Amino acid sequence: MASLFWSALQAVIDGLLTGSLYSLIGMGMALIFGVMRIVNFAHGAFMMLSMYVTYLLFDRLGVTPYLGFLAAAAVLFVIGFATYHGLLRWVNERSEFMIILITLGIAQMFIGGAQLTFSGDFHKVNTPLSGALVHLGSHITLNGGDVLSFVISVALAIGMFLFVMKSRFGRALRAIAQNRYAASLIGINVQRTQAVAFGLGVAAVGLAGGLFLPAFYLYPEVGSGFNLKSFVMVVLGGMGSIEGAAIAGLVLGVVESLTSLYWGNQWAVVVDFVIFLLVLSLRPAGLFGSQRV
Amino acid sequence: MTQRRAILAAVGFALCLLVPLVVQQDYQLNVLFRIALFSALGMAWNLVGGYAGQLSLGHAAFFGIGAYALPLFHDKLGVPIPLALVLVIVAAVAAAYVIGRVSFRLRGPYFALATIAFAEVLRLSVKNLEVTGGDVGLQVPALFGSISPTRWFYLAAVVLAAAALAATAWIVRSRFGYQLQAVREDEDTARACGIDPARTKLNALIISAAFTALGGALYASQYFFIVPDSVLAIDLSERPAISAMLGGAGTMTGPIVGAILIETALELFKNVFHEAFQLIFGVLLVLVVLFLPEGIVGTLASWWRRKRAS
Repeated sequence: MASLFWSALQAVIDGLLTGSLYSLIGMGMALIFGVMRIVNFAHGAFMMLSMYVTYLLFDRLGVTPYLGFLAAAAVLFVIGFATYHGLLRWVNERSEFMIILITLGIAQMFIGGAQLTFSGDFHKVNTPLSGALVHLGSHITLNGGDVLSFVISVALAIGMFLFVMKSRFGRALRAIAQNRYAASLIGINVQRTQAVAFGLGVAAVGLAGGLFLPAFYLYPEVGSGFNLKSFVMVVLGGMGSIEGAAIAGLVLGVVESLTSLYWGNQWAVVVDFVIFLLVLSLRPAGLFGSQRV
Repeated sequence: MTQRRAILAAVGFALCLLVPLVVQQDYQLNVLFRIALFSALGMAWNLVGGYAGQLSLGHAAFFGIGAYALPLFHDKLGVPIPLALVLVIVAAVAAAYVIGRVSFRLRGPYFALATIAFAEVLRLSVKNLEVTGGDVGLQVPALFGSISPTRWFYLAAVVLAAAALAATAWIVRSRFGYQLQAVREDEDTARACGIDPARTKLNALIISAAFTALGGALYASQYFFIVPDSVLAIDLSERPAISAMLGGAGTMTGPIVGAILIETALELFKNVFHEAFQLIFGVLLVLVVLFLPEGIVGTLASWWRRKRAS
């Protein structure tokens, strides 16, 4: 009985550790899809790019991923900003269909580019931290690297939430989401604000990618599974709700971890999608809070 | 005008049937088989994505259901092949009913996301269930005998494509077709005119799913062996959508033009550029969205209309 309890608790804590990184991915998508309504099928590809940047920093310069992820996020911000300005800006006013197709194309470009540059080889980064184990009492054992990335991502998630809710930029962005035309009338530079927001969303998934690097094998398709997952978080958290997506990330982490424990690893993602379909059909406004911008 | 087009289509169909007299090599016939197959899939997708305006990105589900239903019914349950093909359609229609009932309550991107989620749940389940052979996959019964089967697969795909074209032509002129387009243009107004949008969209999805599943069964039998990642991959949902939209979504011949271009391009890129083909494919997709948003046939048609008007 007691051991059942401890294994479940261990799974919940492991889930929260992974979920904190999901939160960053979900918050990025909440900015891009939830607030700006850009259906971004390149989210996973952006994450993959960030992992390669972090990997290169580690491999060539010996920078630990726990610092490298910041540089990667900065690079991703620039890439995201440029992607919006160069490509998405031209289709943003058109149908969602076009946005889906162009982001699919962008994802293919990035994945194909990575394939060409780095080949399809698998890479793995080992840091001293990811081997270190932290014991909480006699029953719970945690991976040192995961604990560090949890602390970092919670801090970043809170920072990002405050930035979007309190800063002048965040207010401008939310004004655009409510009414583009009125926002431009009161002197908000719509295109620049959206480009910065897209860059921020991409930088958020970049942060998660860098922090995820020690936990995953790296290859060009590594991010593909995260596209749908990030939409799941946005819908679960309620469209337009940044904090909702963050909480949804934690929920998803725990659900996956518990599913792995009781039904096996292979069903974890299935449960994600089933929850997604249930939420879409039963409570489209999301689990947390009402629909708002 | 309509009659001339019908004659043109019939002549084209006859020419396609004669191709195996000229092209004998299996490799080339195989490429032609895929072009015909993806034309059919593109036209099937076009009913939902083009005419009804519902961006489905989960058609891999119907394709995979067709691919898996054939060996499951024939080999596991001993159903003879003609009846198994009928059951393939029944299975796809049932799946379309379930998926449609849930997804069509959603609009815009949510619909697209729900269809992907269904396809992924199906793929992952098939991957992990015993009866479907899991990751190892299943052997698929041969639809055609051993004497030059590639030729027969090609011909079957041409017939499927012709049937899809005929169905599209009939639907576009029917009351049902106008209802579909009304729903696409404005769902609320369509409802005000007495159209039941949910039922209209569901019917379109059911027809589309039946064609897609037959295509899946054909594909599976041609490749003899199937695994979840080959017949239920997201890629199979994207390709018909991309060919339909490259040619022109909501146009009758658009999906054929798109499938010819995409399948030829993929084949060429794979042989000529090897590793770079995915990169080039992505660049092309971006360029099409930026510069040919109505697709090739759509752009040509509006250019032609403008020219005649002036």
